[in-house]
Amino acid sequence: MMLVNCTGLSQFYGNKLALDNVDFNLGAGAPIALVGPNGAGKTTLFSLMCGYLTPSKGEILILGEKPGSAQLLGRVSALPQDAKLDPNLSILSQLTLLAQLQGMKPNAARQEALRVLTLVDLTEVAGQKPPSLSHGMSKRVSIAQALMGSPELVLLDEPTSGLDPANAKKVRELVLSLSGEITFIISSHNLDELEKLCDQVLYLDQGRLTQSVSLQSRNQAQFDYLTLTMQSCDADSLTKELSARTGVIAVTSKSSNEFVIQYDPALTSALEPTLFSLFEQQGWQYKMLLKGRTLEDTLFS
Amino acid sequence: MVNHTPPTGLRNSLIIAKFELHKLFLQTRGIVALIAFGLVWGLILLYPVQSASGILLQPQFKEMIDRLFGPNTLNELFDWPVAELAVFWCVALYLFPIFSIFIAADQFASDKSRGTFRFICLRASRDSLFFGRFLGQMLIQSLLILLTVLATIILAASRDPNLLLTAGNTGLGVAINLIIVIMPYTAGMAILSLYASTARQATIYATILWTLVSIGIMLLDSQLPYVGALRWVLPGSQLDAMINTQGLASFSYAPIPLLQTAVILLLGRVYLQRSAL
Repeated sequence: MMLVNCTGLSQFYGNKLALDNVDFNLGAGAPIALVGPNGAGKTTLFSLMCGYLTPSKGEILILGEKPGSAQLLGRVSALPQDAKLDPNLSILSQLTLLAQLQGMKPNAARQEALRVLTLVDLTEVAGQKPPSLSHGMSKRVSIAQALMGSPELVLLDEPTSGLDPANAKKVRELVLSLSGEITFIISSHNLDELEKLCDQVLYLDQGRLTQSVSLQSRNQAQFDYLTLTMQSCDADSLTKELSARTGVIAVTSKSSNEFVIQYDPALTSALEPTLFSLFEQQGWQYKMLLKGRTLEDTLFS
Repeated sequence: MVNHTPPTGLRNSLIIAKFELHKLFLQTRGIVALIAFGLVWGLILLYPVQSASGILLQPQFKEMIDRLFGPNTLNELFDWPVAELAVFWCVALYLFPIFSIFIAADQFASDKSRGTFRFICLRASRDSLFFGRFLGQMLIQSLLILLTVLATIILAASRDPNLLLTAGNTGLGVAINLIIVIMPYTAGMAILSLYASTARQATIYATILWTLVSIGIMLLDSQLPYVGALRWVLPGSQLDAMINTQGLASFSYAPIPLLQTAVILLLGRVYLQRSAL
């Protein structure tokens, strides 16, 4: 059974078309990224998948069921954007309530609330009320509630926005560690982060699904790419030298010291040693050599 | 990971209702509200109820009321076995619906505008949420009604200890009647608090709505008497008639609020099902 089936999905807010005839199917497995500019319809799509909104047109099925149906309760979880817990009640009591609603007995629910708070390193704030937490801590508590019980699908809307780098890293590690049991769909503007976490990428723009890229199939394409970041070099000479190598199809410069090399692997089996020899001959220092293109280059090239 | 069996809608409604009680009794805000409620009712019982029940027992007062309002307008009031409960009935019949508008004004408003329902609706159906919150509010108000009735019984027993048993029986009837009376108000506030973004806004909507509908019905009644039955649509329309009843006779009006509650709850359920969260 597919995890998510979207057929001709459209959503209007008054006269404004937020999603325009979106079609896609997603299977369970590695985390899936949902990217797009502000106002592209990402949060609307998430809201439809969670059952917060009813589609204006088309159909969406999660695990074969309509979002919001009783069969999905506890199986689909989410970190909704801008949703806040009750400021007058302790975090532990609210998470315990949510766990109870998922079918756990009061004691088990309390233990589950503490377990998910431990996952995000926030057990010490269990007895506190939400207003006493920083933005980042509130975000982590919201991530914790999304992991309660045994969800099969977890939708994370901007999970690391507002988090400090250390905690953002912890959240990424948490997602990766749970991605064997849970399929995550992550909406984010942080393409580097998504590249580290996700295989499939859905790109929404002006309510339309304009691209659906699989990072694995990207590696099986006819041409390969290397992304090269130099510390110091003569950009023109480097471009000229690289372009002259066998198998190199194109060299494009993203900025003064960042280059994307497109090459045909059938013509040159190992381009990397050639590059290192060139750097040595010319006395150039490289900073980073990446196999393939960044997600940003893939989506916006 | 913890394995679990999916809960039923009824079980989740009960969990949500219980959590409403937890919010009242284990939260500073709730306890402060309870203290304020206790103080207001303490004053009502100590002064108007206690002194009025003394007056009610004087035969001259009954004659005066009969002359003022006619012999059968408030005659039942003098037949109550416990005078304190008679006065309490007159006050509570009008006060509890007003309290209900304020107490039940935040059934959904704050949580909806804050997005808290987004967490809940991934675990509980909208029906469980709607009926659970309504049930929770009814439990809270029922408890408050029972406490005030109990205080009135104690007041009567302190005057005459022989009244304790009679007061207990009569008080139970009064409490059940009051609980039925406030049901449509609570259901009405459920819909208004779904529409409003704050409790205050819901209360304002309630005031405007009740006033406009009352005026509208009054005008219709004067111009088109055959649509006068429309007044039964408005919660509380039976209150004036209920004042002059007691005991089982008061229950004859119960179908009106019960029917109103069923219709309002049905409308509220449809509204929540169609609402964006």
